[in-house]
Formats: sequence, C-alpha cells, structure tokens
Amino acid sequence: MASTTKARREWIGSAIDQYQGRLIRFASRITGDVESARDVVQDTFLRLCREDLDRVRDHLPAWLFRVCRNRALDVRKKERPLQALDDDDGTSAVEEPGADPHARLEKGDDARRLLAAVGTLPAAQQEALRLRFQEELSYKEISAVTGHSIGSVGFLIHAGIKQLRERLVHDEPAVRPEGERTDV
Amino acid sequence: MSDQRREEDLTAYALGELDAEARAAVEAMLAGSADARREVEDVRATAARLKEAFASVPHQALTPEQRGAVEAEAARGARRPRRAWAVAAALVAGVAASLVVFVGGFFHFERAARPTVSAGYHHNAPPSSVPAPTATLIPGLDKDAAARMSLQTKEQLKALGYIGGKPDGFEEEAATPRLNYLQDSSAPFNTETYDHIRENAFVLVAQDPRSTFSIDVDTASYSNVRRFLRDGQLPPKDAVRIEELVNYFPYAYEPPTGAVPFAVHMETAACPWRPAHRLVRIGIKGREVPRGERPPSNLVFLIDVSGSMNEPNKLPLVKAALRLLVEQLQPEDRVAIAVYAGASGLALPSTPASDKGAILSAIESLAPGGSTHGSAGIRLAYETAAANFIEGGVNRVILATDGDFNVGVTSPGELVRLIEDKRKSGVFLTALGFGMGNLKDATLEKLADHGNGTYAYIDSLSEARKVFVEQVGGTLVTIAKDVKLQVEFNPAKVKAFRLVGYENRVLAHQDFNDDTKDAGDIGAGHTVTALYEIVPPGVAVDVPGVDPLKYQSAAGRAPASADGELLTLKLRYKQPDSDHSARLDVPVEDSGRSFQDASPDFRFAAAVAAFGMALRDSPYKGDASLRTIQAWAQSGLGDDEGGHRAELLSLIAQARRLSPNR
Repeated sequence: MASTTKARREWIGSAIDQYQGRLIRFASRITGDVESARDVVQDTFLRLCREDLDRVRDHLPAWLFRVCRNRALDVRKKERPLQALDDDDGTSAVEEPGADPHARLEKGDDARRLLAAVGTLPAAQQEALRLRFQEELSYKEISAVTGHSIGSVGFLIHAGIKQLRERLVHDEPAVRPEGERTDV
Repeated sequence: MSDQRREEDLTAYALGELDAEARAAVEAMLAGSADARREVEDVRATAARLKEAFASVPHQALTPEQRGAVEAEAARGARRPRRAWAVAAALVAGVAASLVVFVGGFFHFERAARPTVSAGYHHNAPPSSVPAPTATLIPGLDKDAAARMSLQTKEQLKALGYIGGKPDGFEEEAATPRLNYLQDSSAPFNTETYDHIRENAFVLVAQDPRSTFSIDVDTASYSNVRRFLRDGQLPPKDAVRIEELVNYFPYAYEPPTGAVPFAVHMETAACPWRPAHRLVRIGIKGREVPRGERPPSNLVFLIDVSGSMNEPNKLPLVKAALRLLVEQLQPEDRVAIAVYAGASGLALPSTPASDKGAILSAIESLAPGGSTHGSAGIRLAYETAAANFIEGGVNRVILATDGDFNVGVTSPGELVRLIEDKRKSGVFLTALGFGMGNLKDATLEKLADHGNGTYAYIDSLSEARKVFVEQVGGTLVTIAKDVKLQVEFNPAKVKAFRLVGYENRVLAHQDFNDDTKDAGDIGAGHTVTALYEIVPPGVAVDVPGVDPLKYQSAAGRAPASADGELLTLKLRYKQPDSDHSARLDVPVEDSGRSFQDASPDFRFAAAVAAFGMALRDSPYKGDASLRTIQAWAQSGLGDDEGGHRAELLSLIAQARRLSPNR
C-alpha cells in the first residue's frame, strides 16, 4: 500500500480528511485555543509521515489521538508553566474553543445544558467521555490514548455517565404535584 | 463481585464494549433483573444524548499551508526511528500486564479474551499479521459509520476473516459472529412490541387478477430501523415494514396540475433481484400547499408525561420537537396542550399561535410523573379539538408518547374503537412515537391508521426537523383521505404478481367501493410509492407460496383495445371534508426497460425495498444481497436533497458489518 510515494501521500491525505477535525477539536480542549491546536495536529500528521505506515494503520485512531494528546500537553506545559500538572491529565474546564456563537445558538437547550454539565465533571472523566462519545473511540482505544487501564476507562465512563444522569434529572423542572397540572 | 464492578460492567455492556462471553453473562443477569434492564436503557439514552450534544461542536480543519507541509513530508517517506510509537507501544504493553488482574474480575473485555487482538498493538508484530488498509481508510466509504465501528468489532470481524485481506469474501464464510445481543424480537428483555408481519405472497392472475390496498404514508419503521442499526443491532424482523422504509424518502414525482388532489406516475423496468421478473412502481404525489396558503390550524398536542417518558430521548425530545413545530405556525393557528399520566388535564387551553411565548412556556413546564392512562387523555384532546374546531381548516390531535398505555382502558382494541369513534368528528390524528425499550409500535400504528392519521417515529432532533420543518405541510394538511388502490392485471401480460410491503394495509376487494371503509390519507406534498413484482407469461413461477392450478389456463381474455396494457390502477379517494369518494383509472404499459435504464427514483425505491427484504431475510429477496443493494441505492442517489438517501447508504454499510453473510 505504502510502497509508492503517491500511494503514501494519498493514504496520509485520506487520514487527514478523516481525522483532522476530530483531532483539532480534541487538542483545543487541552491547549485552550484553536490556533495552537492546529499546530499540534499538523505536528501529529508530520510525525505520522515519518512512521512505517504498515505498523500504524491498524490502530490509526488510537495512534493519532495519543500522539496528539502528548503534543498538546507539551504545548500547554510551555504556555502555562504555572499550572500544576501532577493531577492533570490533559483536560480542564476550558470553554469549547472551536464553537462559534451561531452554532451555539442553534444547538438546543438540551445540548447546551448537557455540555455545561459535562464541563463540571472531573477532568479525567470529561476526557474519557469525549473520547468515547465525541470521538467514538472504544474503551481499548481510549486506554491506549490516555494510558489509563481499560478497567479505569470503564470506571471513568461509568462514573461520568452516572453523574450526568443524576445532574440532568435534578436539573429537569421539578415534577409538580398531580393536582396542579389538571386545571380543567 | 462488588456493586460498583457490576454497574461498570452494565455500562460497558450498554455501550457494546464487552466480548461475547461477558455479554452472555450480563444477559443472563439482565433476564432476572428489571432494575438492571432499566439501567442499561438509561445508559444508552444518556449516551445517545451525549453524542448528539457533542456532535453540535463544529469541526475545524488545518490551514492549506499546514496541510501542504504534511503532504510534502508524506512524499519523503519514513526516515526517522519510530520513537513516538515506541513509547505508546511500551505503554500498551503495561496496560496488557495490568489486564492479568483484570481478567480475574467477573467480566473481561475483548482485548483480554483474545490475545491475537492485542498483537496488533505490538511494535514487533510480523508484517503478515497486518492486513491491508482497514475499512476506515478506504476513500469513498462512509467514514462516519466506519469510524463508529469500534476497534473491538473490527477485530472480531478481522479475526473471522470478514474484513482486512478479503473484503469480498463475505458470502463464503459460514460462521456468523454474534456481535449483538438483540438480534431478534425474542431477545430476553426487549419489551418493544411489533405485530408479526406475514409477507404478501405471489398471486396467480388466473386465480385472482386484482390487488386492493390502502395507501400508507407512515415512515416510523425507517427511523426505528435506523435507531437499531446505529446502536449496532439488526432490527427485529417485524419492526421492518417495507412500505414505510420506501415512503420515508421523498421522490421527485411531478405534482398534480388539475382538480384531482394528487398525480399518479407509474414506471416499469426489470426487477433487480429477479431479472426475469418485472417491477412496477406506482408513485403518487399529493398537491403541494405552499407555506402561507395553509388553511388555519387547530392543533391539540396530547403529551404523555408518565414516568416512562422520563428519559432523555423522550420528554426532552418531545419538547424540542414541539418547539420546532411552533416556530412553523402562522399567527391565526391555535395550539392547546393536553397531558396525561395518572390524571389527565389541559396544560394549555387553546391559544392563538401569535401568543408564542405562552405556548413555549407551557411546553417548557411539562414534567414527567405518574403512570399512563392514555384513553382519558385522548378523549380530552379530541374534546378540546372539537370545541375549537375550525371549519375548512386543519383540525388535528398530535399525540406524543412511547405508547406505553399501562393503566385503564388499554387493550388496543378498545383504544382503536375510541379513536375510530372520534375520527367521525373531522379531527385528524398524528401519532409520534418516542424513545426505545418499551415503544409500543403496533399500538401507535393502529391508532394512526384508524384515526385518519399518520405515525412517525422521532428518534432525534434531525428527525423532528424532517417531520415538522421540511414536511410540515404534509404533517398538518390532509389533501385527500381514505385513498384506496386497486390494481387489475391483464392476464395476457402478467402471470403472477406480488405487492411488496403494505401487508397490514391489504383490503378485501369489495371494500374498494365501500365508502364506509377507512383507508390511508395523503398530506400536502406527500409522496406514496408502491411496488409490484410481476412474473411475465412464459416465465416459470418458481417462487414460494404458489401452487400450479389444475383447471385454469393463463390465457388472456383482455379486450383487443387494451392489448398492450400491463395493468390498470384504480384509485378511490375522498376530499378531506367529504364522505363520498371519487375514482380515477390509470392504465400502464410495460416500457420494456432494463433496471439500468430506469429513473434514479425507481432504482432507489427498488433498493430500499430490497434492503427491507434483506433485513427481514425475506424468502422473496431473490438475488439481492446487501452488497448488490448498496450498488442499486448508489445508482439511484439522484440529487438527494436533504441527504436522506446518503444516510440509507450508510445504514446499508452498517447492516453489512452486522450481518456479513446476508
């Protein structure tokens, strides 16, 4: 497949088409802005170019997200040296930097409330939820990307979903007593 | 096993992350625990909601300069040691070690169970174990769907030889991986109910030259099938109603020009799944009613606020859908909201749409609680609609529920009688199904069919948009009611025929001219499509369900004037406010066309019908396989306004992954 230069370039091109949007979105959660996320993703693909593609292609999403995540963490470390990094696995409650105001207005209350609720979860849970439900990676891929064991990934996602469910039920308008609703 | 561990396993199960063995263990446990089943449903509902919310965050792309730099680098080839990946590989090895402990748990994951799977992660894996590019990277394939497929699924498939080296070897494989727990309707905890469908058989023209049925513009089955496939499951067979799949898609039939409220377009070509047979498509297009010319509407929303609606893809989605509809209304329209649960009542008395604020805030304040007593709510809604009846306008009850009527008058028969009784008042019904798990599909379809109404299944905001924004005219304005079709075949041209789909819409021949017999309605701009598969004379009827006749001959008796005609379509309909039907006769001759020469609409409709048959594993599917169906659908894409047809392609691709040997 990667035997000829042309095939190799096309292969990388299709990988860019397929993953650039997801990677930039993911990286911008870590770096805090889209511009540096673009740089991180460019670096990630440059690195991909130097790989033996036969060894990567089988687990490409996990490879890309892992390299991208490490690179984004490096960038953040440089740009925000004062931030404690010990307990920090790559996400914080940064506002969705890729979102433009129009898209925001369009998406329903439901989505906005849910995203706000996600923003209040511990960083590691947020990251796991995003990788699973936004980037649609499997537990196993998330494990390879973040370095958490598969069991930990299972815990993070379960705990995240559970908290969201509790919060959402709590946030729904309170159930009014039966009698109040029947004004006929 | 601790509770925490068990809960995490349930979550992993709900998200499709467990291997076959672990799945089986969870299923055994689920069979005995209603709580656990609810838990699984809840996790899935939250997951669906999360996906939708996350999907609203827009994508960005690299700048052209950045991309150019990467492509230039790509052309240079591998130069440096693979340091970055070596780090990752070492880390993965560490993960693998920790799995030893993990396997000791009650359930284990695919990765642990199949050592061959983790080999893909090792730096030193022999090149021969690395197959050709995976599906995700073949340009032109549905990338989203491919990306959705979990690595686990891919690897299971690969292990069995379904993907990787020989993507075309599907049919040769005998083994079917059990990838899903809900392959059929008898699965242990699927409480969704579907009426059994016995597919229409071939009928010899010498035996009965007529076929009579009622039109059907329902589309619920398609959204429901889509929901199953997206969740990684094949739909239960009886959830697949072929005419509803076919009618989900808009077709470019010309609208009528004369006084008749609809136009009829027929087309014939070779039948793709049995090339010796012919396929006849009957296409009906209802008159368009432009926005602004819509008669004033008197709408009563009847909302199920029972406890079972307390799920993200139910009540909150109902509210979002209603908000969309309210935006489409004109100032002179009226809206009332009735709710039902333990008790029923009016949450909003009939209010003009000009007071949008009051309507929106009433929608917002709907909250779940109590159990369902549907019939009292339905009575109240019809009474409210009758009290605010607009002569010459649209008078409609819009029911939003999961259909789980579990208190009071709940036998479907009683409800149907109630609805039938209310139908005479001139109020139409739209039934909207929401949610999953306990969707009572059969009940809702019956209600809509008997209540001069339509039934749609709303599984997402985008489906709500299709029903309430793109097709709002058809959803609200009925242009003809009790539309019945009778096809009479010319025995000189047709030996046998089969109506594809419409199983629960077949009428007795004598009902065609009986104006008291209810039938389906057409909304403004709606298209209705029906397909007949025809066995021409001289072709052996080697299809199931047909015994040769001993005494009858298939010799034609058609009058000379009608010699060339294949069939005549007779159509009866009533104006929305009339009790008397008008009749229309349209004959058609066989064009003799091949399938390739048929119109894109024809090819696409045939592909959708074949897809339905494949999902039903129908004995009539002939040569159709998911692979050929994909090609037929592709060839019929046409302009694809709204992107609905492209979505079908991705569903076919998904079905191929789930059932590689169909």
